[in-house]
Amino acid sequence: MQGGTSVRLYGLEWPKESARISRVFDLLVAAILFLAVSGAFHLHYMLTAGDWDMWIDWKDRQWWVTLTPIMAITFPAALQYVFWTKFRLPIAATFAVVCLLFGQWINRYFGFHLWSYFPMSEVIPALLIPGALVLDVALLLTGNFLFTAMSGAFAFALLFYPTNWFWLAPYRLPVEVMGQLVSVGDYISYAFTRTALPEYIRLIERGTLRTFGGHSAIIASFFSAFVSILMYLAWWHIGMLLARVVTTPNALKHFMGLTDKDEPAEAAQKAIDGTSLQGRSVAAE
Amino acid sequence: MSITITHSAKSAAEDRTQPLGNFKLAAGVTLAVLALMVFWRIFQQVYAWSAGLDSTEPAFDAAWMTLLKVELSVIPLLWVVTWAYLWFTRDRNLGALKPREELRRYFNLVLFNFVYAFCVWFATSFFAEQDASWHQVVVRDTSFTPSHIVLFYGTMPLYVLFGVGSFLYAMTRLPKFATQISIPFVLAVVGPFLILPNLGYNEWGHAFFLMEEVFSYPLHWGFVVMGWSVLALGGLLIQIAMHMLEVIGRLSQEDQASVATQR
Repeated sequence: MQGGTSVRLYGLEWPKESARISRVFDLLVAAILFLAVSGAFHLHYMLTAGDWDMWIDWKDRQWWVTLTPIMAITFPAALQYVFWTKFRLPIAATFAVVCLLFGQWINRYFGFHLWSYFPMSEVIPALLIPGALVLDVALLLTGNFLFTAMSGAFAFALLFYPTNWFWLAPYRLPVEVMGQLVSVGDYISYAFTRTALPEYIRLIERGTLRTFGGHSAIIASFFSAFVSILMYLAWWHIGMLLARVVTTPNALKHFMGLTDKDEPAEAAQKAIDGTSLQGRSVAAE
Repeated sequence: MSITITHSAKSAAEDRTQPLGNFKLAAGVTLAVLALMVFWRIFQQVYAWSAGLDSTEPAFDAAWMTLLKVELSVIPLLWVVTWAYLWFTRDRNLGALKPREELRRYFNLVLFNFVYAFCVWFATSFFAEQDASWHQVVVRDTSFTPSHIVLFYGTMPLYVLFGVGSFLYAMTRLPKFATQISIPFVLAVVGPFLILPNLGYNEWGHAFFLMEEVFSYPLHWGFVVMGWSVLALGGLLIQIAMHMLEVIGRLSQEDQASVATQR
């Protein structure tokens, strides 16, 4: 392409026009990814672990600690496959979590606070960024998804409770209300009634571990870390599956008025979409 | 009825001064979508508590059922008009497509996908979790609640408009998408679309056996699986980038040949 003078972009000399095309394309892709990941990850998270994330009294020492990292490591793992193997970008987990938190904070304010009139202190989402940073650093340092699963995914879950403890601590303080001992978090949620989510619905701590005090959160964290390793491995491969460029011949081609001369040359098609497999083509991973 | 697009014989120098894609149209449509989302949110703020608590009241019928009827008539009409336009104005001479025009169409496709993702975000993030904030407070007495009328019958049909539209745009104007159907593209469009049929199961469950509103209950997991398919947009964008690189290569060869001829 004739582009006049060249420019330096990403450490390379580019013709001016190619650089412009590349920049515009990158910006559009970044915007699409942000919106798509924010929407899809938020939908996944709100419908699998959302209740624990939405309410201050649901943030208990057992279920919340167990479930949240297991459900939250999914999209970071899938995106790490794409970002790392295709672009060598070690930012996927942090990117995914920031997208999620963006959607959550917008909604907690405009939905839960401004529309349903809950105080923000009742509906604060959990913090996930520190665990995501460690997950990204694990992949950057090891460059291997198996080691990242064993170290990064493990740390992602183990760090979840300490990450959230500092802002959650005030809501764990005991308070006496009408002769009953409850936590501040519980009391806020008793005061702002959820008609369709009665208190008996909440999954509370069960079993005998709570008898021995606060270490049920640590036990739950380790169990969550173990399952998070498995989830990371599964979702790395789901990312691999969804990032594959697979095509199949268009059966409507002739109906659309296209002829065989409209076909891109077969060799060019293979070079673009990968190896042709009985009419289908699959790009190299 | 059909209109055939012809390729103008502009010189390479003239072509280079053209914008990369139809950014003005994309910006206009994005702003229109944003205005519609703001309207829906304000409508909820004004009428949800005052007229949306009891579906048997005349006020509910006047505000909410009217909005529902408008949505269910206007958005399908937009489907028919937009998709028919894209189909009947399809390029019937894709073999003669110049590389620069092809590149421009790839940018238009990416812009189409941007508007699609913009709508998807409002549906699956903004209005979806807001649905929780409503249902966990107000016991539903109808499937057509103030949150559902906007979420399921407003924002979701709207993103179907742009999802299917972008697929048709690619299929009718870009040679590689015309001859080979992209599976990631199909997943990224059909998956979110299937949230609408899954809504039938959701309403059936809520009507028959689930009185409380726990968002994590298995009744809602169908929506989750459909949401995962949005990730296939990653595969599609990689595919578009690969195609564009190939087009840029051809463009470069064409320009070099043009320079050699001038000498």
